[in-house]
Amino acid sequence: MLFIKECKKLLRSVTFIIYSVLVVLMFWTQYWDVLDAPLNETACMSCEETKSSGDPELIMPAALDSLTSCYLSNSYICYPYGFFKSVHLNSANSRKIQKYITELSGLSSDEIEALKDQNVKYYISHGTTDYAEYNVEDVPLKTDVTYERFVEIMGDVNDILGGGSDYKPEALAYNFSQVEMTEEELKEQYNDFIEKDHISIAYGRLFSDYLGIDLAFVPVFVAAALITADRRGKMKELVYSRKVSSFKLVFTRFAALFATMIIPVFLCAVLSAAKIMYMYSGSDPSFTGFFAVSGAWLMPNIAMTTAVGMLVSEIFSAGAAILVQFIFWFGSLMMSDAALYGNIGKFTFICRHNRLMHRADFMANYDNFVFNRIFYLMLSLVMVLLTVFVYEMKRGGKFNGIVFFGKGGIFRRKA
Amino acid sequence: MALCSLARVAYSDVKHNFIIHYLIAAAVVFTAPVFFSYAELNERQAAQPLEVIISLIGCILLTPIFMPEQNESIRDVIRSKKTAYYFICLIRLILSFAVLAVLIGCSVLYMKHCDSKVTFRLFSGTLSSAVLLGAIGFFAAGVADNVIIGYMASLFYYMINFTLKEKMGVFYLFSMMQGSFEEKKWLIMLSLVLISITFGYLKLIKKQ
Repeated sequence: MLFIKECKKLLRSVTFIIYSVLVVLMFWTQYWDVLDAPLNETACMSCEETKSSGDPELIMPAALDSLTSCYLSNSYICYPYGFFKSVHLNSANSRKIQKYITELSGLSSDEIEALKDQNVKYYISHGTTDYAEYNVEDVPLKTDVTYERFVEIMGDVNDILGGGSDYKPEALAYNFSQVEMTEEELKEQYNDFIEKDHISIAYGRLFSDYLGIDLAFVPVFVAAALITADRRGKMKELVYSRKVSSFKLVFTRFAALFATMIIPVFLCAVLSAAKIMYMYSGSDPSFTGFFAVSGAWLMPNIAMTTAVGMLVSEIFSAGAAILVQFIFWFGSLMMSDAALYGNIGKFTFICRHNRLMHRADFMANYDNFVFNRIFYLMLSLVMVLLTVFVYEMKRGGKFNGIVFFGKGGIFRRKA
Repeated sequence: MALCSLARVAYSDVKHNFIIHYLIAAAVVFTAPVFFSYAELNERQAAQPLEVIISLIGCILLTPIFMPEQNESIRDVIRSKKTAYYFICLIRLILSFAVLAVLIGCSVLYMKHCDSKVTFRLFSGTLSSAVLLGAIGFFAAGVADNVIIGYMASLFYYMINFTLKEKMGVFYLFSMMQGSFEEKKWLIMLSLVLISITFGYLKLIKKQ
């Protein structure tokens, strides 16, 4: 049977062995320590957890203080692509920020400048020059400013700064309204962990958070190696001439890749679930919950990465597939929210929830999570269908792929 | 005469096989300032884009040294030539290293132009991280006879540096971001060992 043959071929391949090592390494170094000791109520109650209150009364003055400090120093820290970016505005954009501060505080331009002398000033050695930074506190906030208008202004400020600033509307609550959790809230969180997450679902989320990073990139190597193996082994023409349909061949390969790459993940999951069952034997954890959440979370990652690997390798080359997926992976990873929990968007490829607790934050975006998992699974199937189409064209001699090197390469000068 | 033939080999290799890699590496270097700030960074901040992004071009430039001969029939032709195969690979390696140094130099000089605190040790530190990533890819591709495995090994190493961080010890790739430069000499030594083993393997075991 073709499926079994492809699986055997994959299981013996070096790329699959390296893939498995990487999965196990991620599991062992990042996740396994979490299973050292069970999380009990006393430990949970004594931890100092914070939460975003989302209270406009906290957000508005804190954000205004921060914005005014940055304006006076003309230095704004942004993370537009997950990396530090120090933004210094020109005078036109600085004036726009000043107008917004005036609108929010009622202070004139001169009064804002006067804050420089009334507040803490310190010098930062930055680059080859030293410059002053200010830590302004208690900037007055006009009482007639509505929260809606405030959020609108912060959105404009974020745009002026080029994005990724502390003032982006969706990050305001996280950046400016952190409060310590009360005892009741900690207790409620622990109850959620026991009663709603049945313990293992929380661990399943954390397991998927770590392994999802690997599985959004590494499968591309295994897929690209399998697709280009025919070419390397000079079997391409032989396979083309076989009776098997392109649809059956490509989908069987996709299924074989998917099935084999699930194996190391599944084994890690079994190990983890078994340890959870043992650790929490008195609390009746759900055995299936762990597999349900990690399966739904991780399978679209493997499917999508495999499909990209197959399609791009078939059209261009294995190297191009690795490059494309690396850019997609790196971009997705860097655009993760600073909080690393909760914030899961409609098209988030690498979902993050790096906490055992905070179930409520995850559930707040549960619809997005379900949507994006189904979206990427569907998209991967569409890409495999496209691979069938490309393969059929190549088989019929209508298309020979876009190659960079060798015979027919686009960089080879025609004779 | 020998020099002339060497120049012809180098020119032909660059033109037919490596120009695309040089272009991709240059694209990474020249687009990096669009996404990451290069202005007024202190030494640690400047190390971030250099170690995390710019060092990746080592993988792009040094891993595919064996790519043109992945096809066994081409290798048969190469074997029949007077010039030793590993010698051609050495020329490619030197050329790629030169391109690597020039591109990293461009990044560092641009940072300097943007008033960032970059020094020669940032340049050499980035170069050593890039060379190690490339050397790992070069070694894996040479031994496994498959460039995909080379890329995989190189990026595998890159990824585990994110997850294991300081547990990597003297072989930590992003040490400049933590303010340490001690590790860089170990990276260079490991790179030299890997490159030597690969050539030894090609010459003595595979007899190419």
